[in-house]
Amino acid sequence: MYSLRRWWERHGLQVVLVSLTLGTAWVLQQTQGAAILDFYQLLTRPFQSGANKEERLTNARIQELEARLQDLQKQNQQLKQVIKYQKTRQQPGIVSPVIGRSADSWWQQITLGRGSQDGIKVGFAVMAPGGLVGRVVSVSARSSRVLLISDPSSRIGVAIARSRHLGYLRGQGSNRAVMQFFDKVPNVRPGDFVVTSSVSRLFSPGLPVGRVKSVNLQKNPAPEAAIEITAPISFLEWAIVYPASK
Amino acid sequence: MIKISDLSPRTRQILGWLVTVGSAFLCLLLLLTRWPGMELLGIGPNWLLIWVAIWSLKRTVFQGAIAGLALGMIQDGMTSLYPTHTLSLILVGVLSARIQKQRYIQEDFISIALIVFGLSILAETVTAIQYILPGDVASLGLEYPTRTWSETWLDYQRIALCSAILSSLWSPVLYYPLTSWWEQTNSEQYYD
Repeated sequence: MYSLRRWWERHGLQVVLVSLTLGTAWVLQQTQGAAILDFYQLLTRPFQSGANKEERLTNARIQELEARLQDLQKQNQQLKQVIKYQKTRQQPGIVSPVIGRSADSWWQQITLGRGSQDGIKVGFAVMAPGGLVGRVVSVSARSSRVLLISDPSSRIGVAIARSRHLGYLRGQGSNRAVMQFFDKVPNVRPGDFVVTSSVSRLFSPGLPVGRVKSVNLQKNPAPEAAIEITAPISFLEWAIVYPASK
Repeated sequence: MIKISDLSPRTRQILGWLVTVGSAFLCLLLLLTRWPGMELLGIGPNWLLIWVAIWSLKRTVFQGAIAGLALGMIQDGMTSLYPTHTLSLILVGVLSARIQKQRYIQEDFISIALIVFGLSILAETVTAIQYILPGDVASLGLEYPTRTWSETWLDYQRIALCSAILSSLWSPVLYYPLTSWWEQTNSEQYYD
């Protein structure tokens, strides 16, 4: 008993400190660093660029295209009414600033300055000017983490907008990605636009993703195309988060 | 201006812990940033690795391993459980403690930069090996990032080199304030 007490007197503080450190680390690991991310969001608040960037980026060209788009949407709606097409409900997005990048170099992630308090949930799609950028993988009260489509672990179902040939898209870092086709001889050529496909379980169909840069039809086991992601993933300052489709 | 040596031992100890924990926390926050001048090809310095290396330099192997384990667990929480960062950071802590800098290597920023350079190449190698290990890990039910051999090799070259260069260049920024603080506060138990 005495020796136990002496041992405790000599090493007690060390034992307490080590268990305290590991305990805190474990809690932070289990909560996916939510406390750190929230604190970081508070710290960076004065530097966050808000939604007014959105206005700055609009220029005459975009307004012109929007006007045309509205006209086409109107026509499309009327046509859909004619054929009794089931309309997918468009929900408003949550504009949020990009406050940080990934916490290590192997992952392609970004941290957004809006979290569950603003209504963001895991699985929501993240868009930026230019198209789809990723999917929310974890949420804290005031921040959320997004797995970018340029990450090698990200796999999304996509289609060639012109010919509707299906495949899936795998990230390759920065703004590059590879699309593998399901067909042996897909109708695809450089410059074609790539959008999310209607069989994608994660995203609603038709979201713009990127453009075909080059095509390799000889590739085994399936033909491949190199895709350039249209959203400027390396210098994102804000993004819009949309609820998951299903 | 309060002199640290005038404070009572208890206050000094608590202040010492606060600075230690605070600096580690600052490194966790810095991980998320990519400030201009601090990134190459979208890769920033590995601040946690720098912190663990500096912490372990004049401490025991056990202390280095615990620091690596704790910070690795937190970084895992901030990214993903697999590939884990605990292995690489524990290795960094243990090796850094084994180097016994005060005995063999001179006290200057060149040597700390070199140590951090070597250790970060090693740490990225450990991560890369986890990526190319056979897919048994996928059965653990974790979100398993699959990469082919060639992809891992390309990423490894880019990440290891950029991260090593940036980490070693930025290591004096942490090294000087932290070591001078630790020398001032607990000089009596520092070199045990």
